[in-house]
Amino acid sequence: MVFHMQPYGIQGLLKEGHKHLSGLDEAVLKNIDACKQLTLITRTSLGPNGMNKMIINHLDKLFVTNDAATIVNELEVQHPAAKILVLAGKAQQEEIGDGANLTISFAGEILQNAEELIRMGLHPSEIISGYTKAINKTIELLEELVEEGSENMDVRSKVEVVSRMKAAVSSKRFGEEDILCPLIADIVVFTGGVDTSATETKGTVLIQNAEQLEKYAKTEEAKVEELIKAVADSGAKVVVSGAAVGEMALHFCERYKLMVLKISSKFELRRFCRTTGAVALLKLSPPNPDNLGYADSVSVEEIGGARVTIVKNDEAGNLVTSVVLRGSTDSILDDLERAVDDGVNTYKAMCRDSRILPGAAATEIELARKLKEFSFKETGLDQYAIAKFAESFEMVPKILADNAGLNAMEIISSLYAEHAAGNTKVGIDIEEGVCKDVSNLNIWDLYVTKFFALKYATDAACTVLRVDQIIMSKPAGGPKRDQPAGMDED
Amino acid sequence: MSLRVLNPNAEVLNKSAALHMNINAAKGLQDVLKTNLGPKGTIKMLVGGAGDIKLTKDGNTLLKEMQIQNPTAVMIARTAVAQDDTSGDGTTSTVIFIGELMKQSERYIDEGMHPRVLVDGFDIAKRATLEFLENFKTHVVMGETPDKEILKMVGRTTLRTKLYEALADQLSDIVVNAVLCVRKPEEPIDLFMVEIMHMRHKFDVDTRLIEGLVLDHGSRHPDMKRRAENCYILTCNVSLEYEKSEVNAGFFYSTAEQRETMVTAERRQVDEKVLQIIELKNKVCSDNESNFVVINQKGIDPPSLDLLARAGIIALRRAKRRNMERLVLACGGEAVNSVDNLTPDCLGWAGLVYEHVLGEEKYTFVENVKNPHSCTILIKGPNDHTIAQIKDAIRDGLRSIKNTLEDEAVVLGAGAFEVAARQHLINNVKKTVQGRAQVGIEAFADALLVVPKTLAENSGLDTQDVIISLKNEHENGNIVGLNHHTGEPIDPQMEGIFDNYSVKRQIINSVPVIASQLLLVDEVIRAGRNMRKPS
Repeated sequence: MVFHMQPYGIQGLLKEGHKHLSGLDEAVLKNIDACKQLTLITRTSLGPNGMNKMIINHLDKLFVTNDAATIVNELEVQHPAAKILVLAGKAQQEEIGDGANLTISFAGEILQNAEELIRMGLHPSEIISGYTKAINKTIELLEELVEEGSENMDVRSKVEVVSRMKAAVSSKRFGEEDILCPLIADIVVFTGGVDTSATETKGTVLIQNAEQLEKYAKTEEAKVEELIKAVADSGAKVVVSGAAVGEMALHFCERYKLMVLKISSKFELRRFCRTTGAVALLKLSPPNPDNLGYADSVSVEEIGGARVTIVKNDEAGNLVTSVVLRGSTDSILDDLERAVDDGVNTYKAMCRDSRILPGAAATEIELARKLKEFSFKETGLDQYAIAKFAESFEMVPKILADNAGLNAMEIISSLYAEHAAGNTKVGIDIEEGVCKDVSNLNIWDLYVTKFFALKYATDAACTVLRVDQIIMSKPAGGPKRDQPAGMDED
Repeated sequence: MSLRVLNPNAEVLNKSAALHMNINAAKGLQDVLKTNLGPKGTIKMLVGGAGDIKLTKDGNTLLKEMQIQNPTAVMIARTAVAQDDTSGDGTTSTVIFIGELMKQSERYIDEGMHPRVLVDGFDIAKRATLEFLENFKTHVVMGETPDKEILKMVGRTTLRTKLYEALADQLSDIVVNAVLCVRKPEEPIDLFMVEIMHMRHKFDVDTRLIEGLVLDHGSRHPDMKRRAENCYILTCNVSLEYEKSEVNAGFFYSTAEQRETMVTAERRQVDEKVLQIIELKNKVCSDNESNFVVINQKGIDPPSLDLLARAGIIALRRAKRRNMERLVLACGGEAVNSVDNLTPDCLGWAGLVYEHVLGEEKYTFVENVKNPHSCTILIKGPNDHTIAQIKDAIRDGLRSIKNTLEDEAVVLGAGAFEVAARQHLINNVKKTVQGRAQVGIEAFADALLVVPKTLAENSGLDTQDVIISLKNEHENGNIVGLNHHTGEPIDPQMEGIFDNYSVKRQIINSVPVIASQLLLVDEVIRAGRNMRKPS
């Protein structure tokens, strides 16, 4: 008797196992709560003194990091609303490559403030309109705060680049210097394999007696030798192959004193071509002098048990650099890699837009101060939302101070005092625990990073606020994952 | 029970139980979708089985994504989805109208009215409403150059019910221009000629219309140019790679030389084709200022790519078949199936071709084309659910513009039509009918009001106040709709709120039919064996 007792409403309509949440209390506030929990995790990792998280993912891989993008990625967030925040963080990571933590933490903060507003009796739609106004104003203010003269930057000037990168990299690995080493004989590059050629159609060697077999092998050999000789004659010293190198070809390479490298990754091959200026050849044929590349030296060295081939090209025209990362454990190496990645991404973003803002929470405090002034001028209920939005910016100095073990309230109040006195570039010096002018400390943030982070955060928060009903279907089956092994067990 | 005799395992609901089950299901579905209606409708978050998120305000998407099991609800959902298939919009209205019609009927049935009588009344009311719609609609002349303003208003009315305001306004421009771009006189509009492409990048407001084409792949050779201006475009469907013969062929050789010659012979065929293309390129691009782009539907193998790259040609392989059609429409020229006898006439032209790399994905833009008949809407958004939401909305927006162009008419929106139709039914039609069918007409007329009522409810206004003030205005001969910001009556014409004529007609046509069917059910039987459950 399945449908005798049809319950009324949506419960009766849907498949078993689904969940339906609706209304302010059930959907909106619960969503906010979930987002808050997520930010509680990420916020302690913000800034140079942020704490590390130890995460073991479903594959039992251990991550020790304070990179928010990695944290939320490995957490496998299930709650749909919190997931929106995670997605915003990911979008930021893809767009800029840095600032994911700011995105998530800020979104969480404005949601938390939205909750207070909802409890005060404001409707989510009013909060959304207030927040939208606030973010538009923030973008305007942000542009005003841009450090003068920073639009034009020489991307090759090391000093300027380093000053911009410091903030991004140091928040991941404070106190450890990255050694950026520009690591970069005539070289031939073949994308195809270095081996005897073959037809696409199946070939059969027609052999009737032993003599013929011997003869065939001989001609084959002669052919390969001829080719390799031609390559060697063209002046090449190193042969790089994208695919397998035949035994016989290897033998002749040895005889003609050619060095053979096998690079199976297509991208690595391309990078190699960039470094040496070689043109990748498709077929094994004698190369033109134009197609040859050049490198100062190619050597095989042993670094920590692994054999690496170093191709050096210190002459002008070097377009590729490699970074060799060294660390004692895998997790340190992983984290280092992410830090370098962030640095490189910042550099990339910098090439697009090199404007910078004062770092170390100076910008945030200034934004908070100016937005508050703006909110007083606003009529209507929006002004509450704008004021709360402004207040949310205090989160950044607060966390920076907290993470550095300083008294947050004291720092914030003295920051406000300094800013009100007109010193708009005063931020926190976490090492000494005092407020200082950041232009002396040389801590700068990129304008684009802030811009996208704040925008994505607000977008995500507004999306969460807009949802008033959640319909969740039953989680799909699929193979059950192994239960994580207990910590105490061996 | 007689059925028990026939099949002891059958389940049965009869008489009023069956009827109430249907009514309850209709009302339940109405409750779910009610909050979606109108520009102030709220967003629903759907979480799929795999934890994927979908945010939507669109009734159609919601009905498709919700796993509805109740048989009556499934029936209603199917009607609503059919509504979307034919006219592209109005799903939510269909569902809530059905629900309301059932609700009104329930009242009369509880008072002892027979469903059959109500159904008769529905039928009369339906015909009268359709007639009224014919007179009520506003004609729009769509000649050679349609009135863009009206189209934009229609587009905006539709889009605002799916997205938030600022984005909707921006998109309405885009959809209008897109449809006008693909529109050809004397031919039905083929919306497939508007390519919809998405990039996970930047913000939703960066969505834009590209007069030209965006392909979701790039050239496969590292040495090809990333950006080229003044491009001749060869659209072809020629395989530029070695193809195995159909018969089982093999080579027999006894020395390595013999094999070498076979290898070259094998390639020659393909190389010749490539050389023909290069020859054409040299013919048309003699001045060094123009470039040559080959877009091939079939494959191009690495040796051919290499040859083309050396000749300075940008080559793209494995383009979508539909894009080949669009390319010809956008750039001109014709799609060739063989490289023999190529002439410069076969070539299309584009002012700018460039490649955009986004993470792992590559996109090729073909822009600045002359006189395009195909275009691309490039959707941008920071995450998948935003993109999906915009995509659904754009699809509906395009349909609404197409409908307007085909109907050559629009209907005043904001609930104005519904209130006016009710007035007409009560004041004029009801009096012409004798007997109990009047009740059916009354139920139908009252049910029509559900649209303005729900609009008001979603905007946080007092439903009764709004309905009364709207009714009064109509009583005085003013045709007004609801201003959902203030709750005051407004003139939809002035505000530019227009609905599609065909959408409204479809709603009025299908809703009474399905409601009548549901009302006339007197037994629900579940018989037959359930294969899943062992009994």
